[in-house]
Amino acid sequence: MKVTSNAFIPVAQVALLDHEMRRSVHEGTTTAYQKRLIGMFQSGEEHGEAMRQQAAQAKRRALSRLPQLLEQAEANLTANGAHVLWAEDGDEANRLVLEIARRHGAQSVVKSKSMVSEEIGLNHALEGQGIEVIETDLGEYIIQLAHETPSHIVAPVIHKSLASIRDLFIQQLEMPPTDDAGVMARFARQVLRAKFIAADMGITGGNFVIAETRTVCLVTNEGNGRLVTSLPRIHIAIVGIEKIVETLADYATLTQILPRSATGQSLAVYTHMYNGPRRSGETDGPEEMYVIFVDNGRSEIYGTKYAEVLTCIRCGACMNACPVYRSTGGHAYGWVYPGPVGAVLTPLLNGLENARPLPHASSLCGACKQVCPVDIDLPRMLLDLRDDLFQQGHAEGIWKWGLKLWALGNQSPLLFELGGRAARTLTGGRAPRKLPGPLRGWSKFRDFPPFAKKSFRQQWRERRGT
Amino acid sequence: MSTSRDRILDRLRAAQPLAVAVKPSNGHLPMVPLGGQSPAGLRAQFIEQAEKLACIIHQPAAGTDAIQTVLGIIGADRLILSWGLEHIGLPGFAEALATSGIRATQAREASARIGVTGVDACLAATGSLVIATGVGKPRVASLLPPVHIAIVRPGQIIADFETWVALQHRNGPDDFRAQASQVVISGPSRTADIAMQLILGMHGPGELHLVIVGAYRGNI
Repeated sequence: MKVTSNAFIPVAQVALLDHEMRRSVHEGTTTAYQKRLIGMFQSGEEHGEAMRQQAAQAKRRALSRLPQLLEQAEANLTANGAHVLWAEDGDEANRLVLEIARRHGAQSVVKSKSMVSEEIGLNHALEGQGIEVIETDLGEYIIQLAHETPSHIVAPVIHKSLASIRDLFIQQLEMPPTDDAGVMARFARQVLRAKFIAADMGITGGNFVIAETRTVCLVTNEGNGRLVTSLPRIHIAIVGIEKIVETLADYATLTQILPRSATGQSLAVYTHMYNGPRRSGETDGPEEMYVIFVDNGRSEIYGTKYAEVLTCIRCGACMNACPVYRSTGGHAYGWVYPGPVGAVLTPLLNGLENARPLPHASSLCGACKQVCPVDIDLPRMLLDLRDDLFQQGHAEGIWKWGLKLWALGNQSPLLFELGGRAARTLTGGRAPRKLPGPLRGWSKFRDFPPFAKKSFRQQWRERRGT
Repeated sequence: MSTSRDRILDRLRAAQPLAVAVKPSNGHLPMVPLGGQSPAGLRAQFIEQAEKLACIIHQPAAGTDAIQTVLGIIGADRLILSWGLEHIGLPGFAEALATSGIRATQAREASARIGVTGVDACLAATGSLVIATGVGKPRVASLLPPVHIAIVRPGQIIADFETWVALQHRNGPDDFRAQASQVVISGPSRTADIAMQLILGMHGPGELHLVIVGAYRGNI
């Protein structure tokens, strides 16, 4: 997928004027935010917080032993009859999938939602070779029909209204007109059921891989994940290398905290564990199962101060909590992962120079860390990325000079006071409606407060009688 | 020549130890702290949670009543998807189906409206069913038809996910891996992708009947 993150500000400006989109995103995120609160803390705040720390430690323990656990998982999965493959980048992952498709003569593929497949542009690669790919998660299917990209990692069409989905189904699928979401969903069920029955190959992601038991795990609500892994002859799970957990007990914590954080459910409707292909004598399930471990930049993050972001379990809670995401929606972030975690992951996986505005797309309010089920310190990372931008010379000149000036003024009491006096004199003490120069954007949507008649320092001096 | 695998693992190894604070595991708190765990308490908790998930609960007094309950849900249909009937654990069910002229198949029969299965366990804390695959336990029976009937036998209701994990440990890893897959089902298939409206039966069954066999014997 193409990275357009450097256009964050102009795209966000357009998004802010799209009232229908903003209404949908606002409703979607605030609903999910409230549901998470209920789901996480149904046994009290203290318990929920303890579970969050337990989940964080489970992921961090696994991360600290990542290469060892990957090898363990590989050996175990192979012993279970699955094929394990490795891809350093997206191109290699796509090539591996195409080779598997060719080897088995697969012409049609059904997919369940997988963010890593978005990351590597898998659908495009398969379609380029004449293979039909159908997204089967309802949200992802809508995205595919609309030729759009997901704007939220859990609710891909959070930006779309019912009316726009209705119109899309009418135009693309010749659905009889209706405004009933249930009728629309049943219509999509029928269309997609035929695709499931006909498909040669099923592709999924993987929410977790359990090293101890050789198991690839998936959560879905719709049941499409089960169909994708039950009906086609071949199952390919494309999994980021950071998805490993050590034990089944750790998995029990994580697979329960994931839906609580994402949608407030105690468990997703379908919590799957796959130990390999169908066993002899079984009448359904895949004949062959492949697991592709995808690096695509993750091992480069592993040794850095950003390693902790690799513990992300992709629940979307940080998006739902983020005041910036809630206002702009996900598309402005310009790549697969929007919101706070996207603002960290996108520059790390695609290069800081390709995502310069993202570390600034945050008010640093800290809501993302507070809701994160594995307690990732996203605000700290956003600050560190801003520092990296500056150190690597990616900061825009105006900011560079502006901040230098600001630093200078703050280091000298005299300059600080003179600056304040100058501002008061220039504005005549009134609140300026518009700020000059590069500060213009700030005052576009905000009121600047009027200056105090006397500065703090003046008052201090007067009261102390000096 | 080094492979992608080697290069990825080498990069990771070279970066260790990691700059992330890690504490050793000191046991696992359960996600849902349950009070009493008597069989009656677990059963009540399971039913309460499953009903919240929009499952339809049936509590026939005895096995024969359970068969009548299932036949009642099947109604006029003459073809159902099901597990091998010996795996469902309802004595007399095969005969009852035959008498009613109902054919049960394990094949991928797209037109069947009803699927009948047993369960491997139920989780009281979350109202969930655990279903493992195996010979005679096809995936399609709990997946393709819009209506899924699951038969729950006495003693199958356990406390929670954590208890199920402990049982897997007790039974040993070979037992766990002998099954190609396990799925924990919590309520009917659902989606909220269209304007956050909750719709049941998106791809999997939209109607989930739990037939809990065996009389409720009061507080034990």
